[in-house]
This record gives sequence, structure tokens and C-alpha cells, in this order.
Amino acid sequence: MKRLILLALVGSVALAACGGSSNNASSTTSTTAGTTTTTSVTVTTGNPTAAVTLNEAGSSLLYPFLQELVTPLHTQYSNITLAPSPGGSGKGISDAISGVVQMGGSDAYLSPGQLSANPGLMNIPIAVSAQAVNYNLSGVSNLKLSGDVIAQIYEGKITKWNAQPIAALNQNVTLPDTTIVPVRRVDSSGDTFIFTSFLSATNTTWQSGPAFGTTVTWPAAPGELTANGNPGMVQTCKATPGCIAYVGVSAEASAQTAGLGEAMLENKAGQFVQPSSDTITAAAAAGSGNVPANLAQSLIYEDGAQSYPIVNFEYMVLKSSQSSSDTALAMRTFLAWAVDPAGGSSSTYLAKEDFVALPATVLPKVKAAIAQITG
Amino acid sequence: MTDTAERALGQATPLVSSPRARRRSELTRRDVVVSTVLTGAATLPTIALAFLAYEMLRSAWPAIVFNGTSFFTTKTFTLGNLYATSVETHHGYQAAAGAHYGVLPFVFGTVVSSFIALVVAVPVSVAGALLLADKVPARLQGTLGIFLEVLAGIPSVVFGLWGVYTFGPLLSRTVFKWMAALHIPWLSGPTGAGQGLLTSSLVLAVMIVPIIASTSRELFRSVPVLSKEGAVAMGMTPYEAVRVVTIPFVRTGIIAASILGLGRALGETIAVLIISGNALNLYPHSIFDPFSTMAASIAAILDGALTDSTHMAVHALGEVGLLLLVITLIANLGGRWLTRRFSTTGLPVGRGV
Repeated sequence: MKRLILLALVGSVALAACGGSSNNASSTTSTTAGTTTTTSVTVTTGNPTAAVTLNEAGSSLLYPFLQELVTPLHTQYSNITLAPSPGGSGKGISDAISGVVQMGGSDAYLSPGQLSANPGLMNIPIAVSAQAVNYNLSGVSNLKLSGDVIAQIYEGKITKWNAQPIAALNQNVTLPDTTIVPVRRVDSSGDTFIFTSFLSATNTTWQSGPAFGTTVTWPAAPGELTANGNPGMVQTCKATPGCIAYVGVSAEASAQTAGLGEAMLENKAGQFVQPSSDTITAAAAAGSGNVPANLAQSLIYEDGAQSYPIVNFEYMVLKSSQSSSDTALAMRTFLAWAVDPAGGSSSTYLAKEDFVALPATVLPKVKAAIAQITG
Repeated sequence: MTDTAERALGQATPLVSSPRARRRSELTRRDVVVSTVLTGAATLPTIALAFLAYEMLRSAWPAIVFNGTSFFTTKTFTLGNLYATSVETHHGYQAAAGAHYGVLPFVFGTVVSSFIALVVAVPVSVAGALLLADKVPARLQGTLGIFLEVLAGIPSVVFGLWGVYTFGPLLSRTVFKWMAALHIPWLSGPTGAGQGLLTSSLVLAVMIVPIIASTSRELFRSVPVLSKEGAVAMGMTPYEAVRVVTIPFVRTGIIAASILGLGRALGETIAVLIISGNALNLYPHSIFDPFSTMAASIAAILDGALTDSTHMAVHALGEVGLLLLVITLIANLGGRWLTRRFSTTGLPVGRGV
């Protein structure tokens, strides 16, 4: 009898291993006001029966991270190939809406207009990233800046590095009499979105003027230059003494190599911090308390003494109904694997781009969104 | 003879009164096929242009209605707040909150950069073509001519990268600094690092020199040798010979070639996108400042416009494109009028010799 049961067990395990797909059920527990409810979200993942290529276009901030994930994903699931490409978050969103690519990468969440015009369009975060403000001033390191001052620079109100507002923040640093050259992105960019969100949160003139978006009407700052993509920002800033540019953390390594300084930004608690895994994690944790079900949440200028002010979710924008069940399965599998600490969200991949993993409180909502992808 | 009599006689070619009908009846089937195909090929460009104009108009129509005349009178081009929850409505069309589309700085940038490029390129190409055609020793003419042709074939994105990484910074460190030191109004100011109006115009000039120079070189070669020899025999200096004999011959051709070059400069997109600095909603205060053109702005703003859920931003860019098409057509037609105005029989007779 025992041998029969053992045989049955071994047989069922063998059958499960031979089968094409497996069911991963994850139970989550949420606590509200003393009561505990358990919601079970079932996400069907596994290797599709036919080879599927997931085309992705969009955010140049997310692009290096996705490039890292291509090989391990393919090793784990031999029928799924991820094909990422850069181009800017705006391109990612519009390509996902028009169906040119299956997934759009975006640092910006979808706008209310986009969500209402495209029912079934979703943004699903897979990681948390940040953005640094770099500058090209030889001999000046650890420059302190606040969002208000940066907004005035990009408005053209502060034109010299040794101007009073900047000097007031950097008492014991001698600032040169160089003209500030602001650099902005010319492509429709998620980096622009989070940067202008930060400026809107810290400067009222900016909030009522350009506000925030992947494309905004930049004020006429004299001598302002444009660049394409994060690598372009680094290149342009490197070639322009006195420049100031906003660069995603995944390009920070090249910014350091280029000799650009990284500014210490004033957060909501008045502390000056640089982007590091601690400061980014603190901001993400502070901002993830009340994420809506559609996952469109800003993490800009969060509370907390340690929080870095320019932090954001990295989103994959996609449609919930896919053309084939294989594509839907491939998508669910990739996304579930990407947010899994044992898969894409392992520290080896994240740390290389200075990203951090999604906070644990957000994961159940993310899994619920992934489960909505059907084909 | 009557028709029946003709047929009774078995004549292959019935005698009919109109020569046209006679010609038509003499055509074989192959003739008919060839003429149909050629007629189709000849009308294809006209049909393509008409179709393009129609599609541009259709795409721009909502923006034309939404903007009205403010499109041509305001200098602010903004897509509005794409993340706001409200929309603006004018004349029945919706746009993002705060959206306003005015095209003046783009027109200014396009016209001024193309004009400067033409002013720089025409003397250089005409002089260079003259030298190549007449003055350079024959054994060098072939080699130098090849360089000119190769320059015409270089992709414009290569020009853009060269301009922003090499040419622009070099100019801003040297020539522009000297120019700025002269303190001429509009020609002085911060010289920047290479992205600006003068750099873009100079790179555009480099791009249109081959077009004008190759055409001019052929024109100079076609001047009758007898006339040139006659000028020398009459004791004219080389300069006088060129001015009195050669130039009147080739004047209309050079104007036509310049119009070709102008057309390229007006529509140049990628190189200008990379070098111009894409300054929005302002006129350049000096010749070194960043600016924007219609073609480059369409390319730069399109990605952002596609995220506009009201779609009005794409229609506005379509209106900018339609205006660019109209400007290019006007430039071409103006050029044609100019050539007709200045055309001569080729012989400088009675023109103040």
C-alpha cells in the first residue's frame, strides 16, 4: 500500500515535470484595522508551447536593466525571448497603445486621459529606479541643490553657478563664475516626467507653468541644450562646462566615468541625499502605502529623512487582452519572473543599474494586475 | 473614296481626314502598351503629390479648425498638460488642457537657417565649380570632381553627428569667439558649445554645396568654347571674361540649382534636429543661440504628441507639416518665376557688353 502511494506520488511529480505549464498560486495576506483577510492570486505562468518574442520599446532608463534580463529569462524559459529597445517612455507608451510592440517601457505612469481612452491598457511596475542630477564643474564635488533652485535654473532665473541661491546652500564651497547651461531631453521621456514632477512638487511657478509630463513646454532658459536619451545627456554634459543635466541612475556609472558630479538633493525632510540603494528603498517604502489598483503611483518627494526625492516605479505598459494565449502566457511569465527576487529582481541584476526591488506591500497588487493578462 | 470602297480594296490604312486619327490607327499593340505605361509613369508624380497634399490636409484639418488664425500669429507651441484630467474645446475639437499651437518661431528658424545656408553655399559652389570647370588642370579635374560627388552622397545624420561633436565645438572655440569679440549686434553673444543657428546653417551649407556645385560645373562646361576664346582674343581679363561671357550663359541654371539646394535646406530634418538645440517658443537672440525648425520640431515632438489622448497634438504637427509643404512649393514656384525672369537666349547681345 505504502509502495503504491509512493509510486503514485512519483508518477504525479513526473507528469507535472513533463507537462508544459505549471500553476503557481501565491497567497497574500492583507491586514485592515485589526481584521486579516487572505486574498489568493493565481498567476498562470510557464514556458509557452511555441516560441514567443516579446518586443519592448521605450524608456532609456529601463533599457539597460531589460538588456540584463534577456539571457537569464531565456535560460529559464527557453521559448520566451525578450527583445528590448530604447526610444523614450513616450514612444513606449504610444507604441504599446498602437500595438507596434507588445510591451512599452515607461518611467511614467499612464495619464487619466490615456487610461480612459484605452480600456484594457495597464501599467505594471517591475522595479524601482531613481534619477540623479549631474553637473560639469571641475573641482566641485557634492554640490547641494534643492528642487526650487533647480526649477529656477531651468526657468532661466538663475544663470550663474555662484548665484546667491546656490551659494546659500553650499556655504563652504567656492563656486566658479561659470554660466549654467541646462540640458534637457528632446525625446518624449520618462526621465523628463519624473524630473518635472520633482520640480512641480518643489516650485509653485513650475507647477502652474510647465507642470509635469513626458513632454512639457520648457521655459525659455537662455542657452538650454537638448540631448537624446540618457547616454546623450551624459555626452552633452561632458562636452559642456557648466552644464546641469538630469540622468537616470542606470547611466550614472557612465556619468561618473565622464567626470560629472552628482548633486545632493534636498528631500522633503530637509536632508541632502544622493541616490543609493538605502535612500531609494526608503523613498519607495514611504510612497507605497496607498498604491491604487491601477498601480499609477508617483514616488516623487516622499517623506522620510533618508528618502531620495526623485524615485519612480519602472512600468511595463501593455494591453490586458493579447492576441494569442501563448503571448499572454509569455507576458505573465516574464512579468512574474521579473518581480521575483529569485528571478529578475535579484540583487545582482538590480544593483548593476542602481535599481531596487519593488516593496513587498506592492507585490500583491502587481500580481493581481499580471493575472489580468489574458489571450 | 468611301469607306466601303476602301475596305473592299483591302487597304491597311484607311484614308481618314484627321492626321491624329491616322496616327492612332497606325499604332501597333506594343505602341499602345508602351504609351499607356509611360503615361501612367508620367502622371504618377502628380498623383502622388496630390495624394500627399490631400492626406496632409485631412490630417491637419482638426488643428486648422481648432487653431484658426492664432496658428500664424502666436509664438507659443505647447502640447499642454497631458496629465491633466480636463480638456480644452474650441470650435468643437478637443485638445489637452493648456494646449496652444503657434508656428512663428519654427517658420523663423526654417527660413533664416536656409537663407544663411544659401548665402554661404552659392558663392562657394559657383566659384568652386568655375575653378573645377575652367581653371584646374585637366588631370586633377576628375579626382576633385569625385570628391564633390561623394560629398553629395553622405547621409544627413552623419552631418548632424559631425556637426554636434566636431565641427560645432571647433567653430565655437575659434571662429565664433572672434566674431563675438567684434560686438556686432545679433552676431555677438555667448558662443555656446556648438548647438545653434550659425552652426546649423553652416552644416546645411556644406550639405547643399554639392548640389549647386555639380550642376554649376556641368553648366560651365556647356558654355561654348568659341565665346570664351573670343573674349580672350578681345583682350578681356579672366574676370571680365567670366562676368561678360560665362555668367550670362549659366545664370538661369545657377538660379535653378540654388532653388534645388534651398529645397533641401528647407526640409532638412535629422541634421538640424541634432545640431539646432531645439529651443522651443523663443526667437534666437544671437546667431549662436539654439533655435528650432519646422521639420526638426515635427521629428522631435512626434513621440510626445502620440501620447496625447485627444490626438490634437498629432493634428497640430500635421498642420506644421502642411505649412512646410506649402513653403517648399512656394520656394520652388518662386525659383521657377525667377529663372524665367532672368533667362536670356544665351548670347550676351545687347546687355551692356
